[in-house]
Amino acid sequence: MYGAVKVDEEKCNGCKLCVFSCPDPNVLTLLKTKKITVNQDRCKACGLCASVCPKEALTVN
Amino acid sequence: MSKDFLRISPAFEDVMPAEYRELVASGPYGKGYGISDLGSHKELLEEHPLCAGCGLALSLRLTLSVLPAPEDTVIVGSTGCSALAFPQVALHNIHSLFGNQNAVASGLKRALKLRFPDKHKDVVVVAGDGATADIGLDMVMQSWFRGELITTIMLDNEAYANTGGQESGMSPKGAVLYMAPKGKKFQKVNMPELAREAGCVYVAAVSPANPKRLGKAIKRAILVAREVGPTYVQIFAPCPTNFKFKPQETIKRIKEREKDGTYLMREYISPEAQEYLAAMEGGTKDE
Ligand SMILES: Cc1ncc(C[n+]2csc(CCOP(=O)(O)OP(=O)(O)O)c2C)c(N)n1
Ligand code: SF4
Ligand code: SF4
Ligand code: SF4
Ligand SMILES: [Mg+2]
Repeated sequence: MYGAVKVDEEKCNGCKLCVFSCPDPNVLTLLKTKKITVNQDRCKACGLCASVCPKEALTVN
Repeated sequence: MSKDFLRISPAFEDVMPAEYRELVASGPYGKGYGISDLGSHKELLEEHPLCAGCGLALSLRLTLSVLPAPEDTVIVGSTGCSALAFPQVALHNIHSLFGNQNAVASGLKRALKLRFPDKHKDVVVVAGDGATADIGLDMVMQSWFRGELITTIMLDNEAYANTGGQESGMSPKGAVLYMAPKGKKFQKVNMPELAREAGCVYVAAVSPANPKRLGKAIKRAILVAREVGPTYVQIFAPCPTNFKFKPQETIKRIKEREKDGTYLMREYISPEAQEYLAAMEGGTKDE
């Protein structure tokens, strides 16, 4: 992949809005710790998740 | 179909792909999941080839996550971008000749009713705006006139996206596309209104900018089509590739169009459907 999104765990509040806005399945997952994790191999770096995150916890590289 | 159908015979477990094993272990069959369960189970849709930021891919993903009974659902699709995703979907699905989807779905629903008289088998058409409002309009309307117990879902990206960007009846007036350089000359077709007049007992226009509302509309449409009559859901699913905007702007674009009144979100429920839903929704998850 050319790029992928990264999560700042400090900022993430586990609201899952990013999960509902990703066009690709099984990429964003909520961990037991209530933090989001990204399957970087499958992320297409579109940035939609970052566009809806209320905490600015996501950045696209 | 019970979930046992999917279970892998122990002798073959080691040769099955990881994705299949994950589906058996943590897939959504028989669980009654909704939108809010996404991100914690294995989804029906696998890695697909649709473009980055595709509104249609997002709409399809959300739609598949709220099917009331995925194990007893057959999706009838048509040619277009969504057809490229279906080989990656863990559901029964039929790819029909472009435009024929509602005729195929009608026959299938009747056959399933004869074969499984005591079961609900949900037949759900998922097709593009070109397939639904232009080339297949005849078959779509006739299925509604006949009162077929099927759900029709239009993935409205306002263009023939898969063939490089021609205008469709659903493109907004003035739309300029790669293969419509002069701009569209007439208004967007008012499909929700047509659906209501043609006999659909539940009609909704929704978008992935409001995932919970989208999920609720799909669930309602499929439940109502089991017994009351035909149903229609139109999902606004913008295409960054043909409308030349950045992939991260898909949701922003939807909100802008909603705000300036050029894409109306709405819901119509007939009195019979209302009564049916009131009885059903007492006992099921609401999104
Ligand atoms: C009978 C037939 N006519 C025409 C085509 C060519 N064709 C393939 S995809 C497509 C456009 C699909 O547009 P739409 O239904 O809006 O789906 P989208 O690709 O936009 O999701 C067309 C015209 C075809 N495959 N079969
Ligand atoms: S939208 Fe942002 S805050 Fe919410 S779960 Fe995703 S990364 Fe965390
Ligand atoms: S950048 Fe796009 S593909 Fe990657 S996680 Fe975010 S929404 Fe999904
Ligand atoms: S062309 Fe448009 S609708 Fe088709 S996959 Fe790409 S973004 Fe999605
Ligand atoms: Mg289209």
